[in-house]
Amino acid sequence: MAETIKPFALWYHLNKIRWLVLLSVFLMLILLPFIHVYQTFVASFSYDLLEPGEKSLYDLMEMLTSPFTSDPANDLDSIKGTTWSGNFFGFQISDPLSVLGQIASGLTLYWPFIITALIPVVASLVFGRFFCGWICPATLLYELNTTLSLWLHRFGFKSGNRKFDRRLKYLVLAVGLALSAASGSVLISVIYPPAIIGRELYFGIALGGFGAGLVFFVITLLFDLLVARRGFCRYVCPGGALYSLLGRFRLFRIKRIVENCNDCAKCNAVCEFGLDPLHDDFGQECNNCAACIAVCPTDAMTFVIATQDVEFQGAGHLGKQYQRASNAGE
Amino acid sequence: MERRSFLQAFFFSATALVVASLPYAVARLLAPAYASKYPNHLRPPGALPDDEAFVEACIGCGLCGEICPVKCIQFDIRQGGNELYTPFIDPVVKACILCDKCMEVCPTEALTKTERQDIKMGLAQIDRMTCYPWVDRGVCGACVTICPLGEKAIKFDFANIYRPTIVDRGCVGCGLCVEVCPHPSLPIAIVEPEHGSIMSHRVY
Repeated sequence: MAETIKPFALWYHLNKIRWLVLLSVFLMLILLPFIHVYQTFVASFSYDLLEPGEKSLYDLMEMLTSPFTSDPANDLDSIKGTTWSGNFFGFQISDPLSVLGQIASGLTLYWPFIITALIPVVASLVFGRFFCGWICPATLLYELNTTLSLWLHRFGFKSGNRKFDRRLKYLVLAVGLALSAASGSVLISVIYPPAIIGRELYFGIALGGFGAGLVFFVITLLFDLLVARRGFCRYVCPGGALYSLLGRFRLFRIKRIVENCNDCAKCNAVCEFGLDPLHDDFGQECNNCAACIAVCPTDAMTFVIATQDVEFQGAGHLGKQYQRASNAGE
Repeated sequence: MERRSFLQAFFFSATALVVASLPYAVARLLAPAYASKYPNHLRPPGALPDDEAFVEACIGCGLCGEICPVKCIQFDIRQGGNELYTPFIDPVVKACILCDKCMEVCPTEALTKTERQDIKMGLAQIDRMTCYPWVDRGVCGACVTICPLGEKAIKFDFANIYRPTIVDRGCVGCGLCVEVCPHPSLPIAIVEPEHGSIMSHRVY
């Protein structure tokens, strides 16, 4: 028997690392508004005037930040913002969708803003739709929502699993940009979950009240739970559409090793975006989340560097279908 | 995609977008009446002078509010419409201290770096029928004392008593005078000069 090909050892653990990244981004979005509140306290020298709860917040934040800075009112300004648009040690990084939306709404090009999307665009050209799987703060909640629906399944709750046309989201992107241009405001951001999450967390924590976006986000969670699993990301999200288009010819892609595959279809079951890894059908919408690598019992999934998916390689060599055929051939 | 299925999908997605915006519309209907046309909505310093251009340029990221050291920048979060998630300052609640941080952090051209004396958020006006010194009800100069631009924007006139007077050219409309004004009916307000005097602004 020929030597079996094993995926690189790190790939098995990528899914865990991904959860850590998602969690840290989300916690960062919660921490930053608290830090802002703390900064306003520091800037106004108002420790003695604070209420007990505010005082404990002040003490906690002082404990967290004092190892890194002696001038919190100014130094902590170096990390600000959300995934929609942020400021990271002097680098301004914006979502490509915010740039497109702003171009559409104003019908002008403002280059200092457009180049802030350079890093995400280049990263998407290399890693594909990685933002959806690795960074998006809404993904954390949507994946927990999927887990919740599976959990409810044990108690006899039937979660919805309808299928729509995945090309719908490209139309949502186009229609949303057209409406942004027509209305003269960046309208597309009100239906884009990561932007909503970042904003609403800030409004809820620092400005004392959630906005209307939270209602919309809860509706998308219910849509995912009751109508279609992970439906918003699969069928509606305009940002997902944009990242899919950018990642069409990505360099990093997942490939099935047909020699190791036993046709168990766990990869299809675990795929959040409803793709078909079992039949080598990843396409532009794979977000390189590596869940299929982690779940595969026979190590048949790996990362390769290529600009195209391979054609369907046939049934897995460890599966019954292939073995029956090869036995018949002998 | 064929034309028929394309049109179907087009109308479906348009309907989905309209349905998706319903929460915002409902929130707008439920918002109190005064919130929909609040008088003291100043744009942050350095904002594009044309408000429509400002709304077009602003992406609603909230960075200006997140960096403001006095937390004076608020957002239209429940009102729906074009101005959703755009920043504003209500000087009655909290006024701008002209620290320039929001202009530096704004990724778009909505807030651009402007010299302090060139900022134009509005113009302070004093209601001379109400202001304490102007109606001889006592000595007050809170607005003159707090003004970050000093003599260039607001100064004392002397006629029997020291009375505050705005210097039109110098005032940038930061609103600190409104925040400190001790009179309960706030005889000082930030107005847009082209929209008339403080008297016509009081009719809302």
